[in-house]
Amino acid sequence: MSDTPAIPPIEDISDRVRKEIRRAYQRNIKGLDFLIADREHVGAMEKDIVYREGTAVLYRYKPVEQEIYRIPLLIVTPPSNKGYIFDLASGQSFVEFMLQRGYDVFILDWNAPRRDEASLDLADYVDRFIAQSVARIGEITGEGDVTLAGYCMGGTLAVIHAALHAPGPVANLIAFATPVDFTFMHLFQAWAKKDHFDVDELVDELGIIPPELMLGAFDLARPANRTAGQMNLWANMWSEDYVKSYRMFDRWAAETLPVPGEYFRSQIKLLMWQNALYKGELDVDGRRVDLAKITVPILNIVAQHDHVVSHEATQPLMNQTGSSDRHEIISKGGHVSLVAGPAALRRLWPLIDDWLAERST
Amino acid sequence: MQRRWHFFRMVQKEFDPVRAWQDFVQKWEIEINEWSGKLTESEQFSAIMGQATKLNLVAQKAWADQMESMLQALNLPSKVQIESLAERLDRIEDNIERMRLAMEQSGEPEAAGAQPEPRRTRKPPRKAG
Repeated sequence: MSDTPAIPPIEDISDRVRKEIRRAYQRNIKGLDFLIADREHVGAMEKDIVYREGTAVLYRYKPVEQEIYRIPLLIVTPPSNKGYIFDLASGQSFVEFMLQRGYDVFILDWNAPRRDEASLDLADYVDRFIAQSVARIGEITGEGDVTLAGYCMGGTLAVIHAALHAPGPVANLIAFATPVDFTFMHLFQAWAKKDHFDVDELVDELGIIPPELMLGAFDLARPANRTAGQMNLWANMWSEDYVKSYRMFDRWAAETLPVPGEYFRSQIKLLMWQNALYKGELDVDGRRVDLAKITVPILNIVAQHDHVVSHEATQPLMNQTGSSDRHEIISKGGHVSLVAGPAALRRLWPLIDDWLAERST
Repeated sequence: MQRRWHFFRMVQKEFDPVRAWQDFVQKWEIEINEWSGKLTESEQFSAIMGQATKLNLVAQKAWADQMESMLQALNLPSKVQIESLAERLDRIEDNIERMRLAMEQSGEPEAAGAQPEPRRTRKPPRKAG
């Protein structure tokens, strides 16, 4: 057989040319729309604020089923990001999926901290905001148990809370891309290396750490992502769904939150430099955080191509906790694709439902 | 003949310009990111980053101070003043929310149209087999 490229039939070529011209038109029209459009609306499901204290806001999503599981689900989002990533839009919302599968869903979300909240520390997050959210959920639902889930640093906070308050109301623990062994957080280790990164000066000077600092680190890890994203956006500008999805994710990334300086200092010194959580040397308000005290069922969810939280960084959940019921899901995709998007809806979330349903009665 | 047609289809698939563009972007993205990944592992990178963060901080502060005095001279509200206004509004919003929650918890009637609580008796579906 010859290697010479064969010419496709003339009808196919003309079809393709017509299609490309149509797409080019649509790109230009939609490209203009894109440039002048307001920010994309996010949030598919109805919700109420049920607890609020400064930076912390607890939402309860309105159940959509008449009969729901006994144990409510509380999701802790990372303090540097808005929680609506769990509920971007219908058809790619984890919240919508779980509500339709019969769960009572709460999200602990964050507002940008005020200057007088610069002194909020790890203890405020794990002992105050998460603890009070759990208590409030108990008041609302009348249930003493809760499934605690967390994403990224929200997961780390959830793990610390579960260890400190064990045995307690936490009946199940779900960790989405949750770092515990921070020696494997390669990017952040390089970015904030002890010899060159003066965290004290940064915190003392700024009080509140601006989001640009974190965004800069992410851009360094993947410098081509932003440009490649825009190139792909242009190629797909004709597609309404693609553009809508791009704009929602873009809005979420752009709305990265500042974080309180003291919390940031603890994150860098205790978690990154000392790796104290992994080593069993982390003290919160004078109490030692011992992972072995977590004996409840654990579901560890990791993304195969996560450039932020590697698989190794999550492994103490699988081998240092005291639970005898530990499961792991390694999902295709990257850091964000675990909690948002149509691929997770098809592949990952049904597995979470299978695991959690039998532990929620 | 059938085999030859199959060959045509294969070649045609390989020539898809959109797919080729997407493949190109993807490969470029992976290569740049890999290169950057290697770069971040070096000690020099950490040193440069630490220095850059510090310089950025100093520059930002100098710029903010400059801007602050300029806005003051023009009798315009500065960033700090706007921030403090936003924080006061935030505190008011916070208090209103707390009052609403306190009223709800102390047995005040729920807003009209409130839905009854669902039953918490759901069981997982039976697995086939």
